[in-house]
This record gives sequence, structure tokens and C-alpha cells, in this order.
Amino acid sequence: MKFLNSFQNKLKLNRKSFLKSGLLTILIITLAACNSLKTAVFDQYSYQQAISIKIESLNLMDKAIEPYTNFEEEAEQLLLDLQKMVEYEKNKPDNEVSYAMWNVMANKDKNLLAGFFKRWKDKSQLSSIFIGEAKIQVAEALDLIVKYEAQKNKTNENNILGFLSNN
Amino acid sequence: MMDIEELLKLLKEELLKVLGESYGDFKTETKEDIEAFLTLSKVKLERWTNLLASGALTVDDYEWLLVSQKDLLVLNALYQAGVSKLRLGHLKNKIIKTIVNTVITVVI
Repeated sequence: MKFLNSFQNKLKLNRKSFLKSGLLTILIITLAACNSLKTAVFDQYSYQQAISIKIESLNLMDKAIEPYTNFEEEAEQLLLDLQKMVEYEKNKPDNEVSYAMWNVMANKDKNLLAGFFKRWKDKSQLSSIFIGEAKIQVAEALDLIVKYEAQKNKTNENNILGFLSNN
Repeated sequence: MMDIEELLKLLKEELLKVLGESYGDFKTETKEDIEAFLTLSKVKLERWTNLLASGALTVDDYEWLLVSQKDLLVLNALYQAGVSKLRLGHLKNKIIKTIVNTVITVVI
């Protein structure tokens, strides 16, 4: 009888520790999943810079009907601003998506913003029809970056509203 | 005027044939990527093809714009799903080359 009681107690303890370790595993998995879903918070500077780069880029792209050498200084300045932006986004925590997006824009081997200026430099002048079509592509790309940054604002707003309604 | 539906059908067949040789193991994903690329790009592809046919765009211009569309879709994929879920990885230069070659054969 004594043996049976101690066996039952042992079984209870084993069930408890099994349940505990199970819950701990679920907790760790949940925390890991939440961690991987973390996104950087909305950044006013990133948002303003994205809009500013968009306007400046589209204006400068219009000039590509003229020789690149006439606008080399402006183009180099814009590319420098773009590189600064990549570096800025790179060092923000949980910001992989925005960083990757800016990287595509600043990559001269991709056919978006930096790629356009590379082509202008290589060809010296570009046709107005090509410029018009390329501008649509660059504008769409920069709009995605602006929209993504604004989306972070929406997430923050929802979190604040959620917090306020729960408290 | 170019029949864009006919061109898209031809492009789809060509891309599946070319990519089927290299990406046989990813047949479903390849097909989905091609469909997504062509559907989202249809309006632009039609306009650029007409501009190419009329001589307003050079073959170089046309190729540059097609690659820019692929890069834009990559940005879109980043926006939609986040960097880890990027599915356009195997939409590489081979697709662009095939589109250009097919269009050049049909248009010029």
C-alpha cells in the first residue's frame, strides 16, 4: 500500500514537471515568434527623407535629356544622400525590411534610382520617353518605402489605442 | 498594333520551357512567379512593347525597364511579406533575357 502511494505521488510529480516543461516550451516558442515579428517604430526623419529624396530624384531625372556632366554635382549629391539613408536604416533595430528596400534603391546594379543615374552617366543623355517610363518605376518604388514607413505609424497608433482602451 | 494577349501567352510558354530546364524541381513556384510577374506587369509590358515596336524605345531601354519592373516587384514583395518571405528569388536575368528575345523575335 505504502509502495502504491509513493508510486502515485511520483506519477503526479512527473505529470506536473511534464506539464511545466510543456508550458515552458510553448512560452519560449511564442516569445521567439513574437521576437521575429518585431518591426522598427515609425521614424519621422526616415519618412521626411524618403519624401524629399523622391521629389529631388524625379526633378533631377527630368534633366537626363541633357548631358550628365551638366548635372554631375547634383547627381553625386543625391547618390550620397541615398547612401546616408541606407546607413541610417541599417543601424536601426528590427528594421530589415526598410534597410533592404533602401538597399535596392541605392544599388547601381539594380534598375531603379541609383541604376538610372548610372545609366545616364554611361549614356550621357537619355530619351524623354525612356525618362518618363523610368520615372514611373522610381516613383512607384519610393512610394512603397514611404507607405511602409507610414504603416509603422499606423501600427504604433493601434498599439496606443489598444493600450488606452485596456486601461 | 501588337496583340498583347498573344504575346503574354507566348512569353508564358517560353518562360516555362526555359525555366523548366533549370528549375524543374520548383515547377509550381516557377509557374506562380511567372504568372505574378506577367499579371502585375501586363499594362506596362503592353505600353513598352508598343513603344519598342514604334521605335520610341530602344531594345536597351526596353530591357532596362523590364529589369526595373522585376526590381520593383522585389520591393513590392518586401513590402508585402517582409524580407524572409521573398519569393521572387529565382526570377533572375534568365526570365528578362527570354522576354527580350521572344519580344524581339515577334516584334522586330
